[in-house]
This record gives sequence, structure tokens and C-alpha cells, in this order.
Amino acid sequence: MRYLAHRLIHATLLLLAISFFSFALLQIAPGDYFDSMRLNPQISRQTLTGIRAEYGLDRPIPVRYAHWLASLLNGDLGVSLASRGPVAPVLRMRARNTLVLSGTATLLAWLLALPIGIWSAAKRNGWADRISGVATSALLTIPDLVLFLGLLLLAIRTGWFPAGGMRTEAAGGSDLWSSAKDFALHLVLPAFGVAVVSLPVFVRHIRAAMLEALESPFLRAARGHGIPNSRLLFRYALPAASNSLISLFGFSVATMLSVSALAEIILSWPGLGPLLVESILSRDVYVVVAIVMLSSVFLVAGNLLADLLLFASDPRIRME
Amino acid sequence: MRNDAKAQRDVSEPEPLVRIQNLSKHYVQHRPFTRAKFTVHALEDASLTIRRGTTLALIGESGSGKSTLARCLALLEEASSGAIWFAGENLVDLTPKELFHFRRRIQLIFQDPTSALNPRLTAAEIVAEPLAIQKEGTKASRRGRALELMAQVGLPADCEYKRPFEFSGGQRQRLAIARALALEPELLILDEALSSLDLANQEMLLELLAELQAAQSLTYLHISHDLRLVSQCADEVAVMNERMIVEQKSAQELFANPEHPYTRELLAAMPSLESICLERSA
Amino acid sequence: MTQRHKLWGTLILLACFHALVFFAGFFAPYDFATHNRELTFAPPTRIHFVDSQGTIHVRPFVYGLQNDPANAGIYVADSTRIYPIRFFSRGSAYKLAGVFQSRLHLLSVDDPGRLFLMGTDAFGRDQLSRFLYGGRISLMAGWIAAGLSLLIGIIVGTLAGYFGGWIDQILMRGGELFLALPWLYLLFAVRAALPLHIAEWQVFLLLVAVMGLIGWARPARLIRGVVLSAKERNFVLAARGFGASDLHIVCRHVLPQTYGVVLTQMTLLIPQYVLAEVTLSFLGLGVSEPIPSWGTLLAALQQYYVLSSFWWMFLPALFLIPVFLLYYAAADALQERLASVPL
Repeated sequence: MRYLAHRLIHATLLLLAISFFSFALLQIAPGDYFDSMRLNPQISRQTLTGIRAEYGLDRPIPVRYAHWLASLLNGDLGVSLASRGPVAPVLRMRARNTLVLSGTATLLAWLLALPIGIWSAAKRNGWADRISGVATSALLTIPDLVLFLGLLLLAIRTGWFPAGGMRTEAAGGSDLWSSAKDFALHLVLPAFGVAVVSLPVFVRHIRAAMLEALESPFLRAARGHGIPNSRLLFRYALPAASNSLISLFGFSVATMLSVSALAEIILSWPGLGPLLVESILSRDVYVVVAIVMLSSVFLVAGNLLADLLLFASDPRIRME
Repeated sequence: MRNDAKAQRDVSEPEPLVRIQNLSKHYVQHRPFTRAKFTVHALEDASLTIRRGTTLALIGESGSGKSTLARCLALLEEASSGAIWFAGENLVDLTPKELFHFRRRIQLIFQDPTSALNPRLTAAEIVAEPLAIQKEGTKASRRGRALELMAQVGLPADCEYKRPFEFSGGQRQRLAIARALALEPELLILDEALSSLDLANQEMLLELLAELQAAQSLTYLHISHDLRLVSQCADEVAVMNERMIVEQKSAQELFANPEHPYTRELLAAMPSLESICLERSA
Repeated sequence: MTQRHKLWGTLILLACFHALVFFAGFFAPYDFATHNRELTFAPPTRIHFVDSQGTIHVRPFVYGLQNDPANAGIYVADSTRIYPIRFFSRGSAYKLAGVFQSRLHLLSVDDPGRLFLMGTDAFGRDQLSRFLYGGRISLMAGWIAAGLSLLIGIIVGTLAGYFGGWIDQILMRGGELFLALPWLYLLFAVRAALPLHIAEWQVFLLLVAVMGLIGWARPARLIRGVVLSAKERNFVLAARGFGASDLHIVCRHVLPQTYGVVLTQMTLLIPQYVLAEVTLSFLGLGVSEPIPSWGTLLAALQQYYVLSSFWWMFLPALFLIPVFLLYYAAADALQERLASVPL
């Protein structure tokens, strides 16, 4: 129990530090959202100062931070300067979209990586292993930018999939089935792209973890006892490799919000990625900070989850 | 025999070169995730003396604290309490500056020569390093001295640019000895230095060490668990058990009349060469 | 293929590619900013050896391009105008390696002929030239940022590993902070912190500095590991026995043990940082027009009509793949080589 409390405190402190760090970073930037207004002769300086004061942009950084932190604990993430409305609802919707995409992609990646990784390790240096090795290396070399652009090109050229977006604007009412199909079609390309980007990393880790387990002395001893290979693989090696797998799982959760950012931008999926870029370009401070914080929360939570799962599953860690 | 000549010399020099008094060393370790600490006692009230120009063998089983004693004496670790008298000075009290100068006089040879030599440096660089550290001479003069030392320990001059992995185990240990001699020390501590070598190499190195001792009036502290080796080279023997020195006597006396029960056990466990031959032939 | 061949092979290929980019002025037929307003989105120029009358020319040539009067935007080759390709000829002025003035180009054709080996973009700028010049920016950004990250990583890792104690705690906790931040988002956020309207070279430097400052944590951890194991080695203890100072031990004994890790990290970090710069520029958050970077070259692809109608605009993206392949292959080969040396 002490271990868990320790980790929890650690995580909270880390988040606090991150929040201050990202907040300060953006606030020290010269210029702010209303800079463009300055050029407009119809808006007087007093009006500008007034607007700035209204958004609290004229107070010193620590004050703004304290204010922001306090409202954060109340569930209020600040105000978006672009939409003049609260940040939270916008973020919620976008985050939901992102999670749908990255969740699907991660699931897909795991469903493919587990069998490939385990098979490669079981039949080491067999033809399947070699092919998957080459394919993994090839996939790793292709920059994700190029991959997503390629997928977009594919969509445009062949017309099999919609070229971006999350839904098509339906003229007239549409029933649940066709709108679901439409949604699914839109989801395929980005999810596939993100899955392909994560796949090689997963396969490599899984294969390495399984190999280590398969070559350990206790497994060789079990083999010497005549235990059949399939049982060895799933009842002996897989549990031994589970530590690495759990860490990898934690990593998946941790990067859940950021892994699909580029795909969202290129394939116009309305998630956190495009919102972030827009907000940066327009200096919509609170939105940027909120997004960075949210993804940091996921990162820290993912690692914490992995730690907790390891604690629960591995008695050696409990004994310490 | 060597021992007789030395015995005569001993009478003229009253004060031993090294006198270790009640030396203790303990470590404090923390348990992970809690505040609890536990103490490891590595040395408990150890005392021994070494006379100049002689070889003192320190025997005992693993874990008895021999290496810790060696390291404290070689100034590689700080003792927790006690005194180390070396030629009239208490090493425990020295300031860092004084320590720097004192290091020349005591040197340690490690058990595993491979780990004791930096694999990236050449043989000459390794032997010359102590001179460089103590800022002696120029690069050229250091190289010259390194070659001299290598010749002294029986390494041919063409090994100058070879790296440690190109030497055999015995040669690496010779290299380590050459390095240790660079600063002309008075005391050489051999921490199980011959244990990792085969018998042939052990013999050769024992001979070399004996030559060097005679030529440069070196004093040796020879730590070993091998009694056969000890019987060949030691003038005096100290026995260590459970982190304490239990007995110290001249070699002849110890083998003839062991006093402490532990010493007796130790000697009893050692098979003599004659008895082995008898068993085999029977 | 033996290990050594693999390693040297990839390194030589990489060096050749970098030479191409370094001497971009020589290898590129044109400058990166020269507009050709009448020749926007022109496809790659075809090179011919046989002309319309059936004569074989020894020297390859291109036909003149002109707009098809019937279809706007489509180009037709005019077979009456033949422009032979000249090698090692004089063209527009440029600075060789940024220092020496030169007018020597590897390939060119006489005016008003045009040699667009990779087509042109929306402003009629030669894509091949922009690719080579852009490589300078992107690769340089990658190298400098990687170097900076490694430098900080070495300093932090060595201090933390060698001295341990509270220094170690503070530095490693700081590193955790940096590792916990989602780097892509952080990169965006920090870029946002930079003023949007400052001089080009300042943007570049700040960008590089930011990338380098974010990524030190992972190399630092690795180096700390090496330092921790190195300082326990017996030869370090022996050196201490001779009275060696900490500085001597670190420089002579500990740091050399890290060279292997540093080299492999370098080959891994450079492509990552190059990609980071490309991504940033692609999104408009990096260097901006008219300075070419591989990212700005790809930015045009965000418009659907460009992507669907003008296939040659995708070529820079395709050419990125072999570059990264070379880097990763070099990293692999290096790791293998280092693992096999008996150190």
C-alpha cells in the first residue's frame, strides 16, 4: 500500500510541475491573441486594454497561474479566446473524437502485434520471423508524415475511402445504420494509419520479451520435462514476458492522446491535434495549456496504470 | 633460505612498517521504499603488524573481511574507526593533500587483472598512468620509465602498443604489477592476486615477486585463501575469521603450532601433497 | 555482407547524400526561390535522346515547354525547340558551402529552356533545387538539435551517474519531467511561445534550440547507466589508488566508455529530429517561406487538388524514405559493430 501511495504522490507532483511549466512557457511569449486587433484602427487602445483585463491577461504570471489552478480544480479550464466560450466543452468533444480514433487504432495494433510478435519469437529465424522482421524495419523507416500523406493520396485517387473528415454532410435524414457505416468508412484510413505507425514498435517489444522468456533457464527445464510447445508458449513463456507487455500497455495508454495528432491533422479528423495547431497559431493560450495538460495527464496516468498492474501481477514487486 | 636473511634484518629495525590497530569498518544500507537502515559490519577490531621487507600472508575464508582490510590499508576506503600506522604516520588522520603524496608508498594489486586494466589503453599508457597522475616528468620520460618497468616484470618491449585483451592472464597481472611499481612503493598489497592464474603462472609470478622484493626491499601483504601458496612465500601469517584477526605468527610457528581453534580447522582441512599421492597410488 | 562492409557501406552512402545537399548550389540547376510564373505545376521535364525527326543526339536534350492554348494548366512539349543539357556550365550565382562565390552548375539548359527534373510547384519553382536546398535546412536542424541534446545528455548523465546522491536525484527527476511531457505537443507549445514574427535565421536557431532542449532526458539516462557501471570498475579504483582526481577519472576512464552509446544515440536521434523539423515546418510552425525545408515542400500536399492532380509533388516525400533508411541501417550496423568489439 505504501508503494501505491508513493507512486500516486509522485504522479501528482509531476503533473503539478508540468502544469506550471507549460503555463509559464506560454505566458512568457511576447504578444498574445489580441495582437492582430492592434492593427485595426477602429479598435482603440482602451478597448484593447479593457478586453485584456477582462481575460486577466494583464496580471503577473504567478497570479494568473494560481487563478488558473484554482479554476482547474473547480472543473473550469479557462476561456477560449477564439470562441469566447469555455474551453472544457470544446476539449471534451475533441478529446472524445481523438480517443475514438486512437482507441480503435491501438486495439487494432495490439490485435495484430500480439500474434505476430509471439509467432516470430516462437519460430525464431523461421520464414515468418524474417518476413515480419523486414516488414517491421521497413515500416519503422517510413516517416509517419509520409505514411499519412500516402493514405490521403490513396483516398483521393481511388475514392474507396473518404478523404478525411469524420462524417459526410448528409442531405436529408439518415438512419442509424447508414450513419454508422459512414462513420466507420471515415474511421478506416486514420485508424489504419495510426495502427501501422504503432505496430512495429509493439511487435519488436513483444518479440523481444517473448524471446527473453523462451530462452530463460526455467523454460528450458520445462521443455526438458517434455511439456508440449503450445503449453510452454502460453502457460509458461507468456506469463514470464507479461512484465514487459504490461509496461508496453501502459505506454499505449500514456500516448493515447498524442499518437494520433498528425493523422488527425492530415486526414482532417476533428480531434485534439488540429485544435492544438490552430490554437498555437492564434495564440489561444488557455486552450493550448489545457491540451498539453490533458495529454500529460494521460501520460502520467498510463505509467501509473502500468505500475499498478505490475504491482498486482508480479509478487516480486510486492515483496520489496 | 630467504627467511633467515630477513630475520637478521628484522632485529635491527624495531618498529614495524605497518601497524593496524583495532580497525573497524561498517556500511549503512537503506532498504528500498522504507526508512529502515541496516548495518553491514565488514571489519571488526582487526589488528596486525607487518615488518619492513617481509611478506605477511593474510588467510581466511571469503567474507571474513580480507579485502576490506586491504582496501582500507590501500587508502581506497575509509575506516570507520581504528588506526593505521605506516612508517610512523597515522593514515586515518591524513588530510587529502597529504594523502595524495602518501599514495605513492602503498599500492594494491587486484585479483582480476582484466577488470583492473582499462581495455581502451595500451600497455605503455597503463603503466605510465600513475606517473601522469602524480605529475612526474614529461610524456617521453614517462614512456621510457614504463618500458623499463615492463622489462622488469618480464614483458617484452614490443608489447608497448598492445591492449590488455591481447595479453594472457599471467601477462596481464605482470602488467598490473609493473603499473603498481611505477611510483616506487614501499608496501605492495596483493589481494588474491594469484588466485585467478593457473599453477604454472602462479609459480612464475611468485618467483618474480620474490626477485622484486629482494631487489627493491619491498614489503608484501599477500592475501590468499590458498594455504599451499602461502606456505611457499610467507614470512609471517595472520589468520582472519569472522572479520577479526585471530592469530598472527611467523609462518613456521603457525604451521607447526596453530593456537586458535579456527586456525587448526583451516590447517586440518588442507590436504598435503604427500597424502594425496599416497591415496592415488593405493 | 560482413559487419564492417555494412557499416562502411551505409556511412559512405550517407556521406554521399550529405555531400549532395551540402553542395546544393552545384547540384541544383536553379536557385530555390526563382519563380516561373508561366510554368506553375509543370510536370517533370522529359529527357530525350531521339528527336521528332528520328535523329539520335549524343547529348540528351529537352523540349521547350509551353502552355497548351486549349487547356489551361496543361503543358505541351514543343518539339521544334531543342535545348541540349549542358554539364558543368555557368548558371545563376550561388555561394558554395555558403562561403565561396560560384556560378558552376552540374546540369543546366540554355534559356528559355527549362530543366525541371522533379517538376515545379505553385510558384513555378524547381522542385529538385528546392529539395536539395531544403535538405540543408532539415538535415542541419536535425544534426544541431541532436548534437545539443546529446551534449546536455552527456553532461547531465555524467554528473548524475558519477556523483550520485542528491545531484542524481534532482537531475533524474528533472529528466522524468521532460520525458513525461508529450514531446510533439510540447514542441508545438514551445513553438507557440516563440514570437511569430522574427527573423528567419532566428526562428531556425530557436527551433533547433528548443528541440535539443526537450530531448536530452533519454540519452542522459542511458549515459548515466554507463557511467554508473564504469565508475565501479577496478581500473577506476586503481586510478584512485594513484591519487587521480575526479576530473582525470571522468575524462580518461569513464567518458571513453560512453562513446559507443553516444554514437548509436546520435545516429538514432538525428533522423528523429529531422522528422520533427519536417513536421513542424509542414504545419507552418517551423521555417516559413521562402526558405525551403522538406517540410514546407510537403506542406503543399495538404491541399487535395495538389495531391490528386500533380503526382510529382509527392516525390520529396518518397525520397525521404531512403534517407531515413540509411540512418537506421547505419545505427543498426553501428550497434552490431560495437557489440562485437571486445571492450
